[in-house]
Amino acid sequence: MTALAVLARPARSRGRDNVRLLAHQVRYEQLSFWRNPQSAIFTFVFPVLFVTILGALFGTTGKNASFDGLPVLEYYIPTIAAMSVLGSCYGQLAVALAARRQNGILKRVRATPLPAWAYFGGLLAHCILVSFVDVALIVLVGRLYGAPLPSDWVAIIVPLVLGAASFCSLGVAAASVISNADAAPAVAQIVMFPLLFLSGTYMPITSKWLTQITGWLPVRPFNEALTGPLSRQGGLSWHQLEILALWGVLGIAVAVRRFRWDPRPE
Amino acid sequence: MHSQPFTHNAIEVASLAKSYKAVRAVRDISFSMRRGEIVALLGPNGAGKTTTLEILEGFRARDGGTVRVLGLDPADRSAARELRERTGLVLQDIAVEPYLTVRETIARQAGYYPVPRKVPEVIGLVGLAGLERRKVKALSGGQKRRLDLALGLIGAPELLYLDEPTTGFDPSARRDAWQLVRDLRETGTTVLLTTHDMAEAEALADRVIVLSGGLVLAQGPTAALAGADANRARITFSLPAGFAVEDLPLAGNAADGAFVIETTSPTEDLHQLTGWALRRSITLSGLAVDRPSLEDVYLRLTSEGALAGAPERSAR
Repeated sequence: MTALAVLARPARSRGRDNVRLLAHQVRYEQLSFWRNPQSAIFTFVFPVLFVTILGALFGTTGKNASFDGLPVLEYYIPTIAAMSVLGSCYGQLAVALAARRQNGILKRVRATPLPAWAYFGGLLAHCILVSFVDVALIVLVGRLYGAPLPSDWVAIIVPLVLGAASFCSLGVAAASVISNADAAPAVAQIVMFPLLFLSGTYMPITSKWLTQITGWLPVRPFNEALTGPLSRQGGLSWHQLEILALWGVLGIAVAVRRFRWDPRPE
Repeated sequence: MHSQPFTHNAIEVASLAKSYKAVRAVRDISFSMRRGEIVALLGPNGAGKTTTLEILEGFRARDGGTVRVLGLDPADRSAARELRERTGLVLQDIAVEPYLTVRETIARQAGYYPVPRKVPEVIGLVGLAGLERRKVKALSGGQKRRLDLALGLIGAPELLYLDEPTTGFDPSARRDAWQLVRDLRETGTTVLLTTHDMAEAEALADRVIVLSGGLVLAQGPTAALAGADANRARITFSLPAGFAVEDLPLAGNAADGAFVIETTSPTEDLHQLTGWALRRSITLSGLAVDRPSLEDVYLRLTSEGALAGAPERSAR
Protein backbone atom coordinates (compact mmCIF):
# COMPACT_ATOMS: atom_id res chain seq x y z
CA MET A 1 0.00 0.00 0.00
CA THR A 2 1.26 3.43 -0.82
CA ALA A 3 1.24 6.19 1.76
CA LEU A 4 -1.58 7.90 -0.10
CA ALA A 5 -3.77 4.84 -0.02
CA VAL A 6 -3.18 4.45 3.72
CA LEU A 7 -4.15 8.07 4.29
CA ALA A 8 -7.32 7.58 2.31
CA ARG A 9 -8.48 4.63 4.44
CA PRO A 10 -8.00 5.48 8.10
CA ALA A 11 -8.05 2.64 10.57
CA ARG A 12 -11.49 2.30 12.08
CA SER A 13 -13.49 -0.03 14.20
CA ARG A 14 -15.52 -2.58 12.26
CA GLY A 15 -17.74 -3.17 15.26
CA ARG A 16 -18.91 0.43 15.49
CA ASP A 17 -19.25 0.52 11.72
CA ASN A 18 -21.50 -2.51 11.84
CA VAL A 19 -23.89 -1.02 14.40
CA ARG A 20 -23.99 2.22 12.42
CA LEU A 21 -24.64 0.27 9.21
CA LEU A 22 -27.55 -1.61 10.74
CA ALA A 23 -29.15 1.59 12.08
CA HIS A 24 -28.63 3.28 8.70
CA GLN A 25 -30.27 0.34 6.94
CA VAL A 26 -33.30 0.27 9.27
CA ARG A 27 -33.76 4.00 8.84
CA TYR A 28 -33.90 3.82 5.06
CA GLU A 29 -36.08 0.69 5.03
CA GLN A 30 -38.54 2.64 7.20
CA LEU A 31 -38.32 5.64 4.89
CA SER A 32 -39.05 3.67 1.71
CA PHE A 33 -41.85 1.82 3.49
CA TRP A 34 -43.67 4.88 4.80
CA ARG A 35 -43.28 6.68 1.49
CA ASN A 36 -45.06 3.93 -0.39
CA PRO A 37 -48.80 4.54 0.11
CA GLN A 38 -49.71 1.01 -0.91
CA SER A 39 -47.61 -0.71 1.71
CA ALA A 40 -48.92 1.56 4.48
CA ILE A 41 -52.55 0.97 3.49
CA PHE A 42 -52.26 -2.79 3.16
CA THR A 43 -50.27 -3.16 6.33
CA PHE A 44 -52.21 -0.90 8.68
CA VAL A 45 -55.58 0.11 7.29
CA PHE A 46 -56.69 -3.40 6.43
CA PRO A 47 -56.26 -5.06 9.86
CA VAL A 48 -57.62 -1.98 11.66
CA LEU A 49 -60.65 -1.99 9.39
CA PHE A 50 -61.11 -5.68 10.07
CA VAL A 51 -61.08 -5.24 13.85
CA THR A 52 -63.37 -2.21 13.59
CA ILE A 53 -65.95 -4.23 11.67
CA LEU A 54 -65.65 -7.21 14.00
CA GLY A 55 -65.94 -4.90 16.99
CA ALA A 56 -69.09 -3.35 15.55
CA LEU A 57 -70.55 -6.81 14.85
CA PHE A 58 -69.48 -8.71 17.95
CA GLY A 59 -68.33 -6.05 20.43
CA THR A 60 -71.10 -6.86 22.85
CA THR A 61 -71.25 -10.63 22.28
CA GLY A 62 -70.27 -12.54 25.41
CA LYS A 63 -68.30 -15.76 25.83
CA ASN A 64 -69.18 -18.25 23.15
CA ALA A 65 -68.49 -21.98 23.28
CA SER A 66 -67.90 -22.26 19.54
CA PHE A 67 -65.20 -19.54 19.77
CA ASP A 68 -63.02 -21.58 22.14
CA GLY A 69 -65.01 -20.19 25.04
CA LEU A 70 -63.90 -16.61 24.34
CA PRO A 71 -65.99 -13.51 23.63
CA VAL A 72 -66.09 -13.39 19.81
CA LEU A 73 -64.09 -10.16 19.51
CA GLU A 74 -61.43 -11.52 21.86
CA TYR A 75 -61.16 -14.61 19.68
CA TYR A 76 -60.47 -12.42 16.67
CA ILE A 77 -58.07 -9.83 18.09
CA PRO A 78 -55.13 -12.28 18.40
CA THR A 79 -55.85 -13.98 15.07
CA ILE A 80 -56.10 -10.68 13.22
CA ALA A 81 -52.92 -9.55 14.98
CA ALA A 82 -51.20 -12.74 13.82
CA MET A 83 -52.52 -12.20 10.29
CA SER A 84 -51.16 -8.65 10.20
CA VAL A 85 -47.71 -9.88 11.31
CA LEU A 86 -47.87 -12.61 8.68
CA GLY A 87 -48.74 -10.03 6.03
CA SER A 88 -46.14 -7.46 7.00
CA CYS A 89 -43.34 -10.03 7.43
CA TYR A 90 -43.91 -13.05 5.20
CA GLY A 91 -46.12 -11.37 2.59
CA GLN A 92 -44.23 -8.10 2.29
CA LEU A 93 -40.79 -9.71 2.13
CA ALA A 94 -41.76 -12.40 -0.38
CA VAL A 95 -43.17 -9.77 -2.73
CA ALA A 96 -40.69 -6.93 -2.10
CA LEU A 97 -37.56 -9.06 -2.35
CA ALA A 98 -38.73 -10.80 -5.52
CA ALA A 99 -39.44 -7.38 -7.04
CA ARG A 100 -36.15 -5.89 -5.85
CA ARG A 101 -34.28 -8.81 -7.34
CA GLN A 102 -36.12 -8.57 -10.65
CA ASN A 103 -35.42 -4.87 -11.13
CA GLY A 104 -31.77 -5.16 -10.16
CA ILE A 105 -31.92 -3.41 -6.79
CA LEU A 106 -30.60 -6.48 -4.95
CA LYS A 107 -27.69 -6.78 -7.35
CA ARG A 108 -26.92 -3.11 -6.80
CA VAL A 109 -26.97 -3.66 -3.02
CA ARG A 110 -24.68 -6.67 -3.45
CA ALA A 111 -22.17 -4.46 -5.26
CA THR A 112 -21.83 -2.21 -2.20
CA PRO A 113 -19.80 -3.08 0.90
CA LEU A 114 -23.04 -3.55 2.88
CA PRO A 115 -22.73 -7.07 4.32
CA ALA A 116 -25.62 -9.47 3.66
CA TRP A 117 -26.32 -9.80 7.39
CA ALA A 118 -26.78 -6.02 7.67
CA TYR A 119 -29.16 -5.98 4.74
CA PHE A 120 -31.32 -8.77 6.19
CA GLY A 121 -30.86 -7.47 9.72
CA GLY A 122 -32.24 -4.14 8.56
CA LEU A 123 -35.24 -5.81 6.96
CA LEU A 124 -35.87 -7.90 10.06
CA ALA A 125 -35.72 -4.93 12.42
CA HIS A 126 -37.97 -2.98 10.08
CA CYS A 127 -40.53 -5.81 9.94
CA ILE A 128 -40.52 -6.25 13.72
CA LEU A 129 -41.14 -2.52 14.16
CA VAL A 130 -44.01 -2.59 11.69
CA SER A 131 -45.46 -5.67 13.42
CA PHE A 132 -45.40 -3.91 16.80
CA VAL A 133 -47.20 -0.88 15.39
CA ASP A 134 -49.73 -3.15 13.71
CA VAL A 135 -50.50 -5.18 16.80
CA ALA A 136 -50.65 -2.06 18.97
CA LEU A 137 -53.22 -0.54 16.62
CA ILE A 138 -55.31 -3.71 16.62
CA VAL A 139 -55.22 -3.99 20.42
CA LEU A 140 -56.12 -0.32 20.84
CA VAL A 141 -59.08 -0.54 18.47
CA GLY A 142 -60.18 -3.68 20.32
CA ARG A 143 -59.90 -1.74 23.60
CA LEU A 144 -62.42 0.78 22.23
CA TYR A 145 -64.89 -2.12 22.03
CA GLY A 146 -64.07 -3.29 25.51
CA ALA A 147 -61.44 -5.98 24.82
CA PRO A 148 -58.72 -6.20 27.49
CA LEU A 149 -55.13 -4.95 27.16
CA PRO A 150 -52.37 -7.59 27.33
CA SER A 151 -51.87 -8.98 30.82
CA ASP A 152 -48.20 -9.78 30.62
CA TRP A 153 -45.84 -7.65 28.49
CA VAL A 154 -43.14 -10.32 28.22
CA ALA A 155 -45.73 -12.85 27.11
CA ILE A 156 -46.80 -10.58 24.24
CA ILE A 157 -43.37 -9.25 23.22
CA VAL A 158 -41.60 -12.63 23.02
CA PRO A 159 -44.07 -14.32 20.64
CA LEU A 160 -44.33 -11.14 18.58
CA VAL A 161 -40.58 -10.88 18.04
CA LEU A 162 -40.16 -14.61 17.48
CA GLY A 163 -43.19 -14.79 15.18
CA ALA A 164 -42.10 -11.77 13.17
CA ALA A 165 -38.59 -13.20 12.82
CA SER A 166 -39.88 -16.63 11.76
CA PHE A 167 -42.28 -15.18 9.23
CA CYS A 168 -39.53 -12.90 7.90
CA SER A 169 -37.33 -15.92 7.41
CA LEU A 170 -40.17 -17.73 5.61
CA GLY A 171 -40.73 -14.60 3.49
CA VAL A 172 -37.07 -14.55 2.43
CA ALA A 173 -37.31 -18.29 1.72
CA ALA A 174 -40.40 -17.71 -0.43
CA ALA A 175 -38.63 -14.90 -2.33
CA SER A 176 -35.74 -17.32 -2.86
CA VAL A 177 -37.85 -19.94 -4.57
CA ILE A 178 -40.08 -17.53 -6.53
CA SER A 179 -38.12 -16.59 -9.65
CA ASN A 180 -40.69 -14.36 -11.31
CA ALA A 181 -41.58 -11.19 -9.39
CA ASP A 182 -44.86 -10.79 -11.30
CA ALA A 183 -46.00 -14.11 -9.83
CA ALA A 184 -44.81 -13.32 -6.29
CA PRO A 185 -48.02 -11.73 -4.90
CA ALA A 186 -50.16 -14.59 -6.22
CA VAL A 187 -47.78 -17.29 -4.98
CA ALA A 188 -47.51 -15.65 -1.56
CA GLN A 189 -51.31 -15.36 -1.30
CA ILE A 190 -52.02 -18.90 -2.45
CA VAL A 191 -49.91 -20.22 0.43
CA MET A 192 -51.14 -17.67 2.98
CA PHE A 193 -54.88 -17.68 2.43
CA PRO A 194 -55.68 -21.41 2.92
CA LEU A 195 -53.23 -21.57 5.79
CA LEU A 196 -54.95 -18.65 7.55
CA PHE A 197 -58.35 -20.16 6.90
CA LEU A 198 -57.50 -23.65 8.13
CA SER A 199 -55.67 -22.32 11.16
CA GLY A 200 -58.81 -20.64 12.50
CA THR A 201 -57.92 -17.05 11.67
CA TYR A 202 -61.24 -16.24 10.01
CA MET A 203 -63.48 -18.66 11.91
CA PRO A 204 -63.02 -21.29 14.61
CA ILE A 205 -62.07 -24.74 13.33
CA THR A 206 -63.83 -27.60 15.08
CA SER A 207 -62.23 -30.52 13.22
CA LYS A 208 -59.82 -32.26 15.62
CA TRP A 209 -57.55 -33.78 12.99
CA LEU A 210 -57.36 -30.48 11.09
CA THR A 211 -56.43 -28.69 14.27
CA GLN A 212 -53.72 -31.24 14.89
CA ILE A 213 -52.23 -30.82 11.41
CA THR A 214 -52.33 -27.02 11.47
CA GLY A 215 -50.85 -27.18 14.95
CA TRP A 216 -47.60 -28.18 13.26
CA LEU A 217 -47.83 -25.48 10.58
CA PRO A 218 -46.69 -21.96 11.43
CA VAL A 219 -49.97 -20.00 11.70
CA ARG A 220 -52.00 -21.82 14.38
CA PRO A 221 -49.14 -21.91 16.91
CA PHE A 222 -48.69 -18.18 16.40
CA ASN A 223 -52.43 -17.57 16.84
CA GLU A 224 -52.34 -19.54 20.07
CA ALA A 225 -49.17 -17.87 21.32
CA LEU A 226 -50.87 -14.48 20.90
CA THR A 227 -54.27 -15.61 22.23
CA GLY A 228 -52.70 -16.45 25.59
CA PRO A 229 -51.45 -12.99 26.54
CA LEU A 230 -54.05 -11.01 24.56
CA SER A 231 -57.29 -12.76 25.52
CA ARG A 232 -56.70 -15.31 28.27
CA GLN A 233 -54.41 -13.38 30.66
CA GLY A 234 -51.97 -16.22 29.97
CA GLY A 235 -48.19 -16.39 29.82
CA LEU A 236 -45.74 -17.80 27.30
CA SER A 237 -46.85 -20.83 25.29
CA TRP A 238 -43.54 -22.68 25.03
CA HIS A 239 -44.66 -25.52 22.79
CA GLN A 240 -46.12 -23.10 20.21
CA LEU A 241 -43.01 -20.90 20.35
CA GLU A 242 -40.82 -23.94 19.66
CA ILE A 243 -42.80 -24.83 16.55
CA LEU A 244 -42.59 -21.21 15.35
CA ALA A 245 -38.84 -21.21 15.93
CA LEU A 246 -38.49 -24.46 13.96
CA TRP A 247 -40.29 -22.90 11.01
CA GLY A 248 -37.97 -19.91 11.28
CA VAL A 249 -34.93 -22.18 11.15
CA LEU A 250 -36.39 -24.03 8.16
CA GLY A 251 -36.91 -20.69 6.39
CA ILE A 252 -33.33 -19.67 7.08
CA ALA A 253 -32.06 -23.00 5.75
CA VAL A 254 -33.97 -22.60 2.48
CA ALA A 255 -32.95 -18.92 2.17
CA VAL A 256 -29.27 -19.64 2.76
CA ARG A 257 -29.27 -22.32 0.06
CA ARG A 258 -31.52 -20.67 -2.50
CA PHE A 259 -31.40 -16.90 -2.10
CA ARG A 260 -30.09 -15.08 -5.19
CA TRP A 261 -29.19 -11.41 -5.59
CA ASP A 262 -28.85 -11.60 -9.33
CA PRO A 263 -31.98 -11.31 -11.51
CA ARG A 264 -30.39 -13.61 -14.10
CA PRO A 265 -28.73 -16.50 -12.34
CA GLU A 266 -26.59 -18.92 -14.33
CA MET B 1 4.57 -8.27 -16.59
CA HIS B 2 4.45 -11.00 -13.97
CA SER B 3 7.52 -9.65 -12.19
CA GLN B 4 5.60 -6.45 -11.45
CA PRO B 5 3.76 -6.33 -8.15
CA PHE B 6 0.03 -6.64 -8.70
CA THR B 7 -0.70 -3.34 -7.04
CA HIS B 8 0.80 -1.49 -10.00
CA ASN B 9 -2.08 -2.65 -12.12
CA ALA B 10 -5.71 -2.02 -11.32
CA ILE B 11 -6.77 -5.18 -13.13
CA GLU B 12 -4.89 -8.31 -14.19
CA VAL B 13 -6.73 -11.00 -16.13
CA ALA B 14 -4.95 -14.08 -17.46
CA SER B 15 -6.45 -16.98 -19.42
CA LEU B 16 -9.93 -16.29 -18.09
CA ALA B 17 -12.53 -18.93 -19.01
CA LYS B 18 -16.22 -19.31 -18.20
CA SER B 19 -18.95 -21.51 -19.65
CA TYR B 20 -22.70 -21.58 -19.10
CA LYS B 21 -23.58 -25.23 -19.65
CA ALA B 22 -22.52 -25.84 -23.27
CA VAL B 23 -21.94 -22.18 -24.13
CA ARG B 24 -18.34 -21.04 -23.75
CA ALA B 25 -19.04 -17.37 -23.01
CA VAL B 26 -15.39 -16.60 -22.21
CA ARG B 27 -12.83 -18.90 -23.81
CA ASP B 28 -9.45 -17.31 -23.17
CA ILE B 29 -9.24 -13.65 -22.21
CA SER B 30 -6.11 -11.93 -20.92
CA PHE B 31 -5.55 -8.24 -20.39
CA SER B 32 -4.35 -5.79 -17.80
CA MET B 33 -5.20 -2.22 -16.85
CA ARG B 34 -2.91 0.30 -15.24
CA ARG B 35 -4.17 2.49 -12.42
CA GLY B 36 -5.68 5.72 -13.66
CA GLU B 37 -6.39 4.32 -17.10
CA ILE B 38 -9.70 4.41 -18.96
CA VAL B 39 -10.20 1.23 -20.95
CA ALA B 40 -13.16 0.38 -23.17
CA LEU B 41 -14.28 -3.22 -23.55
CA LEU B 42 -15.85 -3.54 -27.00
CA GLY B 43 -17.49 -6.37 -28.84
CA PRO B 44 -20.78 -7.56 -30.30
CA ASN B 45 -23.53 -8.97 -28.07
CA GLY B 46 -22.43 -12.38 -26.82
CA ALA B 47 -18.74 -11.53 -27.14
CA GLY B 48 -18.19 -12.15 -23.43
CA LYS B 49 -18.09 -8.53 -22.20
CA THR B 50 -20.77 -8.82 -19.54
CA THR B 51 -19.50 -12.19 -18.31
CA THR B 52 -15.96 -10.81 -18.03
CA LEU B 53 -17.23 -7.74 -16.19
CA GLU B 54 -19.36 -9.81 -13.82
CA ILE B 55 -16.42 -12.05 -12.97
CA LEU B 56 -14.30 -8.97 -12.22
CA GLU B 57 -17.12 -7.52 -10.10
CA GLY B 58 -17.39 -10.76 -8.11
CA PHE B 59 -20.92 -11.61 -9.28
CA ARG B 60 -19.88 -14.76 -11.10
CA ALA B 61 -17.39 -17.53 -10.46
CA ARG B 62 -14.85 -18.25 -13.18
CA ASP B 63 -14.03 -21.72 -14.51
CA GLY B 64 -10.37 -21.02 -15.14
CA GLY B 65 -7.64 -18.41 -15.26
CA THR B 66 -6.44 -15.85 -12.75
CA VAL B 67 -8.00 -12.49 -11.90
CA ARG B 68 -6.66 -9.70 -9.70
CA VAL B 69 -8.68 -6.54 -9.11
CA LEU B 70 -6.82 -3.90 -7.06
CA GLY B 71 -4.54 -6.76 -6.01
CA LEU B 72 -7.47 -8.85 -4.70
CA ASP B 73 -9.14 -11.94 -6.10
CA PRO B 74 -12.85 -11.25 -6.66
CA ALA B 75 -13.59 -14.95 -6.13
CA ASP B 76 -12.14 -14.72 -2.60
CA ARG B 77 -15.12 -14.15 -0.33
CA SER B 78 -12.98 -12.79 2.50
CA ALA B 79 -11.79 -10.00 0.20
CA ALA B 80 -15.29 -9.15 -1.02
CA ARG B 81 -16.10 -6.36 1.42
CA GLU B 82 -12.79 -4.55 0.89
CA LEU B 83 -13.11 -4.92 -2.87
CA ARG B 84 -16.62 -3.48 -2.81
CA GLU B 85 -15.46 -0.57 -0.69
CA ARG B 86 -12.84 0.28 -3.30
CA THR B 87 -14.84 -0.25 -6.49
CA GLY B 88 -17.98 1.35 -7.84
CA LEU B 89 -20.23 0.16 -10.57
CA VAL B 90 -22.94 1.39 -12.85
CA LEU B 91 -24.91 -1.54 -14.24
CA GLN B 92 -26.85 -1.64 -17.49
CA ASP B 93 -30.26 -1.69 -15.82
CA ILE B 94 -31.57 1.31 -13.97
CA ALA B 95 -32.05 0.00 -10.42
CA VAL B 96 -33.34 2.62 -8.01
CA GLU B 97 -36.23 2.50 -5.55
CA PRO B 98 -39.11 4.73 -6.64
CA TYR B 99 -40.25 6.36 -3.40
CA LEU B 100 -37.06 7.92 -2.06
CA THR B 101 -35.84 11.32 -3.18
CA VAL B 102 -32.64 11.84 -5.14
CA ARG B 103 -30.78 13.04 -2.05
CA GLU B 104 -32.06 10.17 0.12
CA THR B 105 -31.13 7.56 -2.46
CA ILE B 106 -27.57 8.87 -2.66
CA ALA B 107 -27.27 9.39 1.11
CA ARG B 108 -28.34 5.80 1.75
CA GLN B 109 -25.67 4.51 -0.61
CA ALA B 110 -23.10 6.86 0.97
CA GLY B 111 -23.71 5.22 4.34
CA TYR B 112 -22.43 1.90 3.00
CA TYR B 113 -18.91 3.21 2.37
CA PRO B 114 -16.16 3.99 4.88
CA VAL B 115 -14.99 7.21 3.21
CA PRO B 116 -17.70 8.36 0.80
CA ARG B 117 -17.76 11.50 -1.30
CA LYS B 118 -20.03 14.28 -0.07
CA VAL B 119 -23.63 13.85 -1.23
CA PRO B 120 -24.06 17.43 -2.59
CA GLU B 121 -20.73 17.12 -4.41
CA VAL B 122 -21.87 13.98 -6.24
CA ILE B 123 -25.28 15.50 -7.02
CA GLY B 124 -23.42 18.38 -8.66
CA LEU B 125 -21.00 16.07 -10.48
CA VAL B 126 -23.75 14.13 -12.24
CA GLY B 127 -25.84 17.22 -12.98
CA LEU B 128 -28.80 16.57 -10.70
CA ALA B 129 -28.49 19.84 -8.76
CA GLY B 130 -31.92 21.33 -8.13
CA LEU B 131 -33.59 17.89 -8.18
CA GLU B 132 -32.40 16.81 -4.70
CA ARG B 133 -35.92 16.66 -3.28
CA ARG B 134 -37.56 15.04 -6.27
CA LYS B 135 -38.84 11.48 -5.85
CA VAL B 136 -37.03 8.96 -7.99
CA LYS B 137 -40.26 7.85 -9.67
CA ALA B 138 -40.75 11.40 -10.99
CA LEU B 139 -37.35 11.47 -12.74
CA SER B 140 -36.93 11.01 -16.48
CA GLY B 141 -35.04 8.00 -17.82
CA GLY B 142 -31.90 10.06 -18.41
CA GLN B 143 -32.11 11.56 -14.90
CA LYS B 144 -32.44 8.09 -13.36
CA ARG B 145 -29.37 7.04 -15.28
CA ARG B 146 -27.50 10.03 -13.81
CA LEU B 147 -28.66 8.92 -10.39
CA ASP B 148 -27.27 5.46 -11.18
CA LEU B 149 -23.99 7.12 -12.04
CA ALA B 150 -24.08 9.03 -8.75
CA LEU B 151 -24.53 5.75 -6.86
CA GLY B 152 -21.47 4.36 -8.60
CA LEU B 153 -19.40 7.41 -7.63
CA ILE B 154 -20.51 8.05 -4.06
CA GLY B 155 -18.07 5.57 -2.50
CA ALA B 156 -15.10 7.42 -4.04
CA PRO B 157 -14.02 4.23 -5.82
CA GLU B 158 -10.47 3.63 -6.99
CA LEU B 159 -11.92 1.58 -9.82
CA LEU B 160 -15.21 2.28 -11.54
CA TYR B 161 -17.06 -0.10 -13.86
CA LEU B 162 -19.40 1.56 -16.32
CA ASP B 163 -21.62 -0.84 -18.26
CA GLU B 164 -22.99 1.10 -21.22
CA PRO B 165 -23.21 4.25 -19.11
CA THR B 166 -24.72 6.72 -21.58
CA THR B 167 -27.43 4.55 -23.15
CA GLY B 168 -30.55 6.71 -23.30
CA PHE B 169 -28.71 10.02 -22.83
CA ASP B 170 -29.43 12.90 -25.16
CA PRO B 171 -26.34 14.25 -26.96
CA SER B 172 -25.65 17.04 -24.47
CA ALA B 173 -26.14 14.76 -21.45
CA ARG B 174 -23.80 12.30 -23.09
CA ARG B 175 -21.18 14.99 -23.56
CA ASP B 176 -21.56 15.98 -19.87
CA ALA B 177 -21.14 12.35 -18.82
CA TRP B 178 -17.99 12.08 -20.91
CA GLN B 179 -16.59 15.18 -19.27
CA LEU B 180 -17.43 13.67 -15.88
CA VAL B 181 -15.49 10.51 -16.73
CA ARG B 182 -12.51 12.62 -17.84
CA ASP B 183 -12.73 14.60 -14.58
CA LEU B 184 -12.71 11.32 -12.67
CA ARG B 185 -9.52 10.31 -14.41
CA GLU B 186 -7.99 13.56 -13.18
CA THR B 187 -8.67 12.35 -9.64
CA GLY B 188 -6.84 9.10 -10.42
CA THR B 189 -9.92 6.89 -10.82
CA THR B 190 -9.46 3.86 -13.05
CA VAL B 191 -12.43 3.29 -15.37
CA LEU B 192 -13.38 0.12 -17.21
CA LEU B 193 -16.31 0.74 -19.51
CA THR B 194 -18.29 -1.27 -22.02
CA THR B 195 -20.07 0.46 -24.83
CA HIS B 196 -21.54 -0.14 -28.26
CA ASP B 197 -20.91 3.50 -29.12
CA MET B 198 -17.56 3.72 -30.90
CA ALA B 199 -17.59 7.50 -30.67
CA GLU B 200 -17.79 7.09 -26.89
CA ALA B 201 -14.85 4.67 -26.83
CA GLU B 202 -12.87 7.00 -29.08
CA ALA B 203 -13.70 10.03 -26.92
CA LEU B 204 -12.91 8.46 -23.56
CA ALA B 205 -10.72 5.40 -23.70
CA ASP B 206 -6.94 5.42 -23.47
CA ARG B 207 -7.05 1.85 -24.66
CA VAL B 208 -9.65 -0.43 -26.17
CA ILE B 209 -10.00 -4.19 -25.94
CA VAL B 210 -12.10 -5.82 -28.65
CA LEU B 211 -13.73 -9.13 -27.67
CA SER B 212 -15.48 -11.59 -29.91
CA GLY B 213 -16.58 -15.15 -29.27
CA GLY B 214 -15.01 -15.12 -25.81
CA LEU B 215 -11.57 -14.20 -27.12
CA VAL B 216 -9.57 -10.97 -27.34
CA LEU B 217 -9.56 -9.99 -31.01
CA ALA B 218 -7.40 -6.92 -30.60
CA GLN B 219 -6.24 -4.56 -27.90
CA GLY B 220 -4.17 -1.43 -27.85
CA PRO B 221 -4.19 2.31 -27.42
CA THR B 222 -7.33 3.77 -28.97
CA ALA B 223 -5.42 6.05 -31.30
CA ALA B 224 -3.12 3.24 -32.46
CA LEU B 225 -6.00 0.85 -33.04
CA ALA B 226 -8.00 3.40 -34.97
CA GLY B 227 -4.76 4.16 -36.79
CA ALA B 228 -3.83 0.51 -37.27
CA ASP B 229 -4.99 1.25 -40.76
CA ALA B 230 -3.10 4.54 -40.74
CA ASN B 231 -1.80 3.86 -44.21
CA ARG B 232 -5.24 2.84 -45.43
CA ALA B 233 -7.15 5.86 -46.65
CA ARG B 234 -10.18 6.67 -48.73
CA ILE B 235 -10.12 9.46 -51.34
CA THR B 236 -13.53 10.67 -52.46
CA PHE B 237 -14.39 13.31 -55.05
CA SER B 238 -16.75 14.13 -57.92
CA LEU B 239 -15.91 14.65 -61.57
CA PRO B 240 -17.68 16.74 -64.23
CA ALA B 241 -20.21 14.90 -66.36
CA GLY B 242 -18.78 12.63 -69.01
CA PHE B 243 -15.97 11.11 -66.98
CA ALA B 244 -16.00 7.45 -66.08
CA VAL B 245 -14.01 5.32 -63.68
CA GLU B 246 -11.90 4.07 -66.58
CA ASP B 247 -10.63 7.61 -67.23
CA LEU B 248 -8.93 7.79 -63.81
CA PRO B 249 -5.20 7.23 -63.51
CA LEU B 250 -5.86 4.93 -60.54
CA ALA B 251 -8.12 2.02 -59.78
CA GLY B 252 -11.30 3.23 -58.15
CA ASN B 253 -15.02 2.88 -58.24
CA ALA B 254 -18.09 5.04 -58.51
CA ALA B 255 -20.60 5.13 -55.72
CA ASP B 256 -23.62 7.42 -55.34
CA GLY B 257 -22.35 9.77 -58.07
CA ALA B 258 -18.97 10.17 -56.32
CA PHE B 259 -15.71 8.45 -57.10
CA VAL B 260 -13.88 6.53 -54.40
CA ILE B 261 -10.28 5.39 -54.38
CA GLU B 262 -9.20 3.07 -51.58
CA THR B 263 -5.48 3.24 -51.10
CA THR B 264 -2.66 2.19 -48.84
CA SER B 265 -0.35 4.93 -50.17
CA PRO B 266 -2.48 8.07 -49.95
CA THR B 267 0.42 10.55 -50.38
CA GLU B 268 1.53 9.22 -53.73
CA ASP B 269 -1.94 8.45 -55.03
CA LEU B 270 -3.31 11.85 -54.11
CA HIS B 271 -0.38 13.50 -55.90
CA GLN B 272 -1.01 11.41 -58.99
CA LEU B 273 -4.72 12.13 -58.93
CA THR B 274 -4.41 15.90 -58.49
CA GLY B 275 -1.65 16.03 -61.14
CA TRP B 276 -3.95 14.21 -63.53
CA ALA B 277 -6.76 16.66 -62.80
CA LEU B 278 -4.56 19.75 -63.11
CA ARG B 279 -3.18 18.67 -66.49
CA ARG B 280 -6.76 18.37 -67.77
CA SER B 281 -8.00 21.50 -65.91
CA ILE B 282 -10.66 19.43 -64.12
CA THR B 283 -11.99 20.42 -60.70
CA LEU B 284 -12.19 17.53 -58.20
CA SER B 285 -15.21 18.87 -56.37
CA GLY B 286 -15.88 17.64 -52.86
CA LEU B 287 -12.36 16.23 -52.63
CA ALA B 288 -11.81 14.53 -49.27
CA VAL B 289 -9.31 12.14 -47.78
CA ASP B 290 -10.33 10.31 -44.65
CA ARG B 291 -8.98 7.54 -42.54
CA PRO B 292 -11.09 4.72 -41.15
CA SER B 293 -12.67 5.55 -37.79
CA LEU B 294 -12.55 3.26 -34.78
CA GLU B 295 -15.99 2.13 -35.90
CA ASP B 296 -14.70 1.07 -39.33
CA VAL B 297 -11.80 -0.79 -37.71
CA TYR B 298 -14.13 -2.37 -35.17
CA LEU B 299 -16.59 -3.53 -37.81
CA ARG B 300 -13.80 -4.98 -39.94
CA LEU B 301 -12.24 -6.72 -36.93
CA THR B 302 -15.46 -8.22 -35.64
CA SER B 303 -16.63 -9.38 -39.06
CA GLU B 304 -13.23 -10.98 -39.70
CA GLY B 305 -13.36 -12.43 -36.22
CA ALA B 306 -16.81 -13.79 -36.96
CA LEU B 307 -15.45 -15.58 -40.00
CA ALA B 308 -12.26 -16.83 -38.35
CA GLY B 309 -13.35 -17.49 -34.79
CA ALA B 310 -17.04 -18.29 -35.32
CA PRO B 311 -18.07 -16.57 -32.07
CA GLU B 312 -20.50 -18.53 -29.99
CA ARG B 313 -23.57 -16.45 -29.44
CA SER B 314 -25.47 -16.60 -26.25
CA ALA B 315 -28.17 -14.59 -24.58
CA ARG B 316 -25.60 -13.19 -22.20
